[in-house]
Amino acid sequence: MNARQYLILSYLLLLISSCEEKIDLDLHKAAARVVIDAQLSDASLVQRIRVSRSVGFNDLVNASGVKDASVSIKDNENRIYSFQYEKDGYYIHHNFKPVAGRTYTLNVTVQKQQYSSSCRMPSYVAVDSTGISEKSLTGKTYFFATLTFKDPAKVANYYCYTVSINGGPFRFTNAQSDQFNDGLKVTHYISDLETDLSPGDEVVVRRYCVDEKAYRYWNEYQNNNLSNAAPSNPKSNISNNALGYFSVASLKEYKLKIGR
Amino acid sequence: MRPIIQYFLPISLVLSPFIVSAQEAVLSGIVRDASTGKPLNGAVIITVNDSIGATSDLRGYYHLSLPRGTHRFAISYIGYQQQIATIELLQSHERNFELKPFANRMDEVLVSAKEKGESVDDPHMSTVHLTMKDIKDVPVLFGEKDLLKTIQLLPGVQSGGEGSTNFHVRGSDGGQNLILLDQATVFNASHLFGFFSIFNSDAIKDVQLYKGGIPAQFGGRISSVLDISMLDGNKKQFSGEGGLGIIASRIKLEGPLTQDKSSFLFSARRSYADSFLKLAKSKDMDNNSLYFYDLNAKLSINLGKRTSLYLSGYHGKDNLKYSDLFHIAWGNSTATARLNHQFNDKISSNTSLIYSGFNYQAGVSSQQIDFQVASKIRNAHAKQDFSYYANANNTIRLGLGALAQSIKPANLSSDKIQSVNPTTIENQRGIDLGGYISHEWKPTTDLSLQYGVHVRDFIVLGKRTFYQFDKNGKPVSEKRDNSRIAKHYINLEPRISASLVLNEHSSLKASYNRIVQNLHQLTNTTASLPTDQYVLSSVTIKPQRVDQAVLGYFRTFANKQYDFSVEAYYKRLGNQIDIRNGATLQAKAYFEGELLFGVGRAYGLEGYLRKNSGRLKGWISYTLSKSRRKFSGINGGNWFNARQDRTHDLSVVANYVLSNNWTLSGTFVFNTGNAVTFPSGKYLVNGKSMFYYTERNGYRMPDYHRLDLSATYDPPKTNKRFHSSWTIGIYNAYNRKNAYTIDFRENKTNPNLTEAYKIILFGIVPSVTWNFKF
Repeated sequence: MNARQYLILSYLLLLISSCEEKIDLDLHKAAARVVIDAQLSDASLVQRIRVSRSVGFNDLVNASGVKDASVSIKDNENRIYSFQYEKDGYYIHHNFKPVAGRTYTLNVTVQKQQYSSSCRMPSYVAVDSTGISEKSLTGKTYFFATLTFKDPAKVANYYCYTVSINGGPFRFTNAQSDQFNDGLKVTHYISDLETDLSPGDEVVVRRYCVDEKAYRYWNEYQNNNLSNAAPSNPKSNISNNALGYFSVASLKEYKLKIGR
Repeated sequence: MRPIIQYFLPISLVLSPFIVSAQEAVLSGIVRDASTGKPLNGAVIITVNDSIGATSDLRGYYHLSLPRGTHRFAISYIGYQQQIATIELLQSHERNFELKPFANRMDEVLVSAKEKGESVDDPHMSTVHLTMKDIKDVPVLFGEKDLLKTIQLLPGVQSGGEGSTNFHVRGSDGGQNLILLDQATVFNASHLFGFFSIFNSDAIKDVQLYKGGIPAQFGGRISSVLDISMLDGNKKQFSGEGGLGIIASRIKLEGPLTQDKSSFLFSARRSYADSFLKLAKSKDMDNNSLYFYDLNAKLSINLGKRTSLYLSGYHGKDNLKYSDLFHIAWGNSTATARLNHQFNDKISSNTSLIYSGFNYQAGVSSQQIDFQVASKIRNAHAKQDFSYYANANNTIRLGLGALAQSIKPANLSSDKIQSVNPTTIENQRGIDLGGYISHEWKPTTDLSLQYGVHVRDFIVLGKRTFYQFDKNGKPVSEKRDNSRIAKHYINLEPRISASLVLNEHSSLKASYNRIVQNLHQLTNTTASLPTDQYVLSSVTIKPQRVDQAVLGYFRTFANKQYDFSVEAYYKRLGNQIDIRNGATLQAKAYFEGELLFGVGRAYGLEGYLRKNSGRLKGWISYTLSKSRRKFSGINGGNWFNARQDRTHDLSVVANYVLSNNWTLSGTFVFNTGNAVTFPSGKYLVNGKSMFYYTERNGYRMPDYHRLDLSATYDPPKTNKRFHSSWTIGIYNAYNRKNAYTIDFRENKTNPNLTEAYKIILFGIVPSVTWNFKF
């Protein structure tokens, strides 16, 4: 609920006045688990799926790719797409553009363990206009990319956003549902979670129209961050206890520049 | 014939105490403060020769059953000069006493006042009675006297987090405490997200906290009862009191409306927005507001020699507004009317009508987004209580009550531009019918018993749609119930406590209680938020339940200068409620599907040593405890530590009278950290470093300790009516950087590395308060 998030945000802002200090924690190192990061979209013909393992808290998280997994996707019209290992845990297919309305099933095998999931690709919801918005808070100005559109009525719609700033990697920013504004004219405010946007920045916003399970996954992740007393792993839609998720989404990109 | 004889003997044994001997007569009356006329609660009237005694109740009323003849009595109360009276008791009659308070604190003498739970033969255990003097002597954050912060220094009671006024009693959740202000339920007892309580100490008379062995007349929450009584106005003289502090200021006015017959009390407290916002380093303060206020009022009217009427009320509000970004406001209101009537020297009755309500509104209002969320919870309660004092060894209490509850869940509405669809969720309504009967019995001089039962029927009212959910929380069916009553939950709550005197200094105590709760507070955040949702028991949600057993040992030392007690408790919690991960409950018709149900266990050992008299007074309390839960759907269905689980908890409170004008106080607290969920690994998804969590609450926060000091300067008393004093305090005197919460972040230069940061809420915080009296 937005009000609740704003409430917690303001409460946390009050805490900005307090101090923070780096500490060392003695964290257990849990047994590694298979992570499947499969976000497919119709933005291009090239699709990547990453298979990796979880690492200890103090380890580097990048170098954990799984080399000898078999990854393939099948759609409801029996087309099969086999992915090949590229590098660093990524499996690639060069000629696969998903189509809205089809149901896709993912199958991954890692060391004789099978992981599978399925997803029906939603169609894209068009954006009417984009822009930049400014908000002043405790003396500082914050910038947001805005996307305005009309949400389709009587259909459950879910939106996920990733953002790249000045050519950097794309990172998740937020996930929204139309639970409270179904059928209305909606504006989403997008900004990176870790880096504030500043004038002169070039921002590329990726807007994914996802299904309910993918939305749930990212929603649980973003709720974990807001002073939640009991964070837990976002619920994966992949079987056999895998971490990560599988989503086939409609995608469009928007380039925006924050003016001086 | 035989069956009747079989039952006759035991029945006559039970009934025999009620047959008052013809050789005895009853002395009764009211004990008051001689200068203000206010009744004294807990004054002791005892015969000098054979130590037969009684304690006065909340109304100041006492009664003693004694053999006819002449007796010498000693009447005493802490802070007052003892009186000796010789009374000829030929037949039952009344005698009132007025005790003079000590002008100078230095003359305070050892008093054998019986404080509930701390006297050797009182079966009430796990109970603490705090006077306002106890609360005013304890230094707290920002120099504000706070009864909720003071009770957190007692064994078995712990705070919900630094600065927070949410409290946990014996391992239970925050929403399981019944907080009563003149019998009215208080739903959210804190201001400003938990930094201050709503109770203005000036308007409070005393506080009773029941942690276990909860007597039959209380019910409704499974963990504890915090029974707070508002002060009656001074019936003799008009006076006022107040203070200016760095966060808030307060004033209290009281006085007679009709001399010696009726009185009023009014108190108000308000915070200053500026000082707190300055703390938050806010530059654009024009369009912001951050304040809270409390108003308390009470009328006490004597309607005759045997009847009194009390009307009291509370209203408070918090308001937080951040320019055009958002605003939130919340507040409690209560109103109580109580008619007390003394039929004769044995039977008294209390008839009460009580209202209490809590509401909050939150909203976001800007060019693009505009919506309001509002929720309300209300209850109206009618109660009738009787107490029958048969003789010194037998008192019977019984009563009936009907409590109508209604919750208007968060509704969503839109104003200027329609950026959200208005949503209205159906109200939840229920009626809690309760009846109780209890017997306080002293079968021998060494054994005291208090036993009884509270019968409860919670009626889930209909005219509502009920849903059934599958195991993932998705609604599978919907049923509109148009009947007036949807369901009954009938429960029996037996209560028993006993004390066995071992010798004149020590006793053993034991108790058992079962309690059921039908109003549930759902919270999954670190601090107590006013937007925490309340739900009533329904077709899907069953009442929460506790069975608690306690065993204790109590002892006094050095002629009652020291009290020592040890208590061990064990609780079984049933039908506990938690929320599915990532769920939002607000403005959602299917919110019941997001709830998970489970069980809990809490057990521990409490130690308490208290020094009651002399220049140095205070107490040491220590708790060793465990609190765990088990829910299918959380932690893989395995037992996990409750968030409030805390192994060691130590508090030391000391108050030292340095001279006629200076008093020093100090508090030291130490506790091992609460259970918390930290990651045990991490992984990468879509460019985002995600934390891998294994068991829930499997880690501990770092240890917490803190020292608070304060000094009060009370200038010598002059003949002038106006008198003022100064208190300076230091919170967290050695600036310990206690972790409020731990935040995990990616290293700025190397995003692959994750680091842990502790967020510290308060460093060293000095405060100055100026108090006045006239």
